[in-house]
Amino acid sequence: MSDPIRIELRPLGRSIEVERGTNLRDVLYAHGVEFPCGGRGRCKRCRVQLVEGTLPIDDEESALLSDREKEEGWRLACRCRVEAPVSLAVEQFRAPILVDHTPFLFEPRPGHGVAVDLGTTTLVAQLLDLQTGRVLAAQTALNPQGALGSDIMNRIELALSEDGRLQLVALARDAVEGLVRRAVTSAGLGGAPLEMLVLVGNTAMHHLFCGLDVAPLATVPFESESLGLQELRADEIGWKLPGNPLIRFLPCLGGFVGSDLLAGVLATRMHESDTLTALVDLGTNGEIVVGTGKRMLCTSTAAGPAFEAGGIEMGMQATTGAIDGVTAGDGSMQCRVLGGGGARGICGSGLVDAVAAGLDLGWIEPSGRLAEGRRIVHLDGPVHLTQNDVRQLQLAKGAIAAGLKILLRRLGTAGAATPQVNLAGAFGNYVNRDSARRIGLLDYPDGKVEPVGNTALLGAKLALFAPEREAADISQLSERIEHVALAADSSFMEVFVGEMRFPDRS
Amino acid sequence: MAVLEELREAVLTGDKDRAVEVTRLGLETSIDPQALIDDAMIPAMDEVGRRFEEEEYFVPELLLSARAMKAALELIRPLLADTGASSRGCIVIGTVKGDLHDIGKNLVSAMFEGAGFEVVDLGSDVSPEAFVAAAREKSADLVGLSALLTVTMPSMKSTIEALEAAGLRDRVKVLVGGAPLSTDYAVEIKADAYAPNATAAVRAAQELVGGRAPCR
Repeated sequence: MSDPIRIELRPLGRSIEVERGTNLRDVLYAHGVEFPCGGRGRCKRCRVQLVEGTLPIDDEESALLSDREKEEGWRLACRCRVEAPVSLAVEQFRAPILVDHTPFLFEPRPGHGVAVDLGTTTLVAQLLDLQTGRVLAAQTALNPQGALGSDIMNRIELALSEDGRLQLVALARDAVEGLVRRAVTSAGLGGAPLEMLVLVGNTAMHHLFCGLDVAPLATVPFESESLGLQELRADEIGWKLPGNPLIRFLPCLGGFVGSDLLAGVLATRMHESDTLTALVDLGTNGEIVVGTGKRMLCTSTAAGPAFEAGGIEMGMQATTGAIDGVTAGDGSMQCRVLGGGGARGICGSGLVDAVAAGLDLGWIEPSGRLAEGRRIVHLDGPVHLTQNDVRQLQLAKGAIAAGLKILLRRLGTAGAATPQVNLAGAFGNYVNRDSARRIGLLDYPDGKVEPVGNTALLGAKLALFAPEREAADISQLSERIEHVALAADSSFMEVFVGEMRFPDRS
Repeated sequence: MAVLEELREAVLTGDKDRAVEVTRLGLETSIDPQALIDDAMIPAMDEVGRRFEEEEYFVPELLLSARAMKAALELIRPLLADTGASSRGCIVIGTVKGDLHDIGKNLVSAMFEGAGFEVVDLGSDVSPEAFVAAAREKSADLVGLSALLTVTMPSMKSTIEALEAAGLRDRVKVLVGGAPLSTDYAVEIKADAYAPNATAAVRAAQELVGGRAPCR
């Protein structure tokens, strides 16, 4: 890094180094700060408080904050660039738990608990004070199982052998334990007892963490008998945590739809809503729930790694040098590069933008073919898209759009009503919604698609605070949500292939 | 010949209605049904395959063309049933046990038909026993195995072993394909060939068993 600047994050007790001029949005997501409105300055949920140092504020941001807020040092992380060392207090870890800005009703009880989102790629844990609902510490880590295969099916295959299974179980458990310990240490809890841990994750993570047989996940019809709520005592799996907490892994919804999505339903309160809603987690394994409080359907759909820029010639993670935003104007493409330096590659949100811009400019045809005999689409510097890159995105967006369409059809509401679409997870947080509409990934009117952040973790927190009777309700809720196996749906191929095309808007 | 040219164009552009209409017209004006296949449909699917390889066509275009071809073929087939003259060999195809993914397999199946093979498509989640039974009953020249999941690849191996145990292996060639596969894996499980895509599958089939008898 040519010109590193230190950012200290409170109350995490963590500091990070970034390049001068870095947008806080680019670096704080990895540390648990969420950008529900996608960084457009609408929701102000990414508020951070400047404790030390200076952070330039522009007119746009200034207009969004009250005089009092500015006086107290509040800034919107999505609008700020760092020019000098700063110390920031992260609002989201200090505020009581909020769902749609409504304080979550919980029964305060003494003690501490931890909510964990055990993802295929990343792990996030938050340590909470069960009396006040405040987040005392947040920790993230990469899932160490990733070293044995980034793809979930690879890990399931490995887990079919007893040695492999034990190895994966140990990696998952050790990683979560490490995260919990670090959270306890950074919060300065000492030996104070932990009451409970609530974990959410996809079906494979659920099975591997709980030590269940993954063989049913490896073959048709991919339906495990052990999808339910799992409870363990810390010492049962060899953890020596103060208070020997109960570990509760929330139930899966079926097939490859895990408790991360169930937690999302809880967090967005879909199950209590009369409005037709879709909750979509855009990942390699896309997960979708659609419905109202009366009836909900869920499915998983194999999108492949394109949203994470996997399988893309110049694809890379959303780090310095990645093109993460592209707009079309004046007959050319304008690219936004993370960190502000030269472009080295393109990340998932950049890919969606670039293809949307390519369609608008007529450089890419609605069939997905590069127009006018192009071999590549130039973006910025050496970074370009190939024909195959566009094809990979077509497969990914076709899988998601088809899954959503088939669930809506099954509900009998297709064409009748436009659902409110809530985007869960990191990619949903970052993807530009206009671009997502332009490529037909989420072809819904403006205002109908909203990112909702890490609802998996939020739902896990809600479950952590739920009294015992509600814990039973969560299990019931998981049984109420009907699982649809897309591969067994006779219309899937037709819908999928139809959805691979890009909308024709020229 | 306008009809042949139009049928070729209809298949190439994936226009099913037009393909059916032109085929009907052709048959009414007593064009040789075999010529509709040999001089229109096969060249059209050849061109579809070429465009796919050139990245000009993608899965949707391939499927649309395959659909147009199949619709036209259904009109022609009854007229050829007795002679079997159109077939260039008998292929039994399916997605292996444990795997439901059939889009790739369907494409390959359509391309085989487009290339003049007679195809018996067993669908998905097909057991080794079902492959053996079909290969025996139809006197197949080639068995095509598809798998999309790494975890179902071993089903390919057990299918090949079942063909061997049934004493069919010296009469039947085995072609494997699917996203997680490789030539190395094909060699390891003793398949005769691996094809990375639909057009490569057609080429491999032509090399392995081109010009053989139709299915029994």
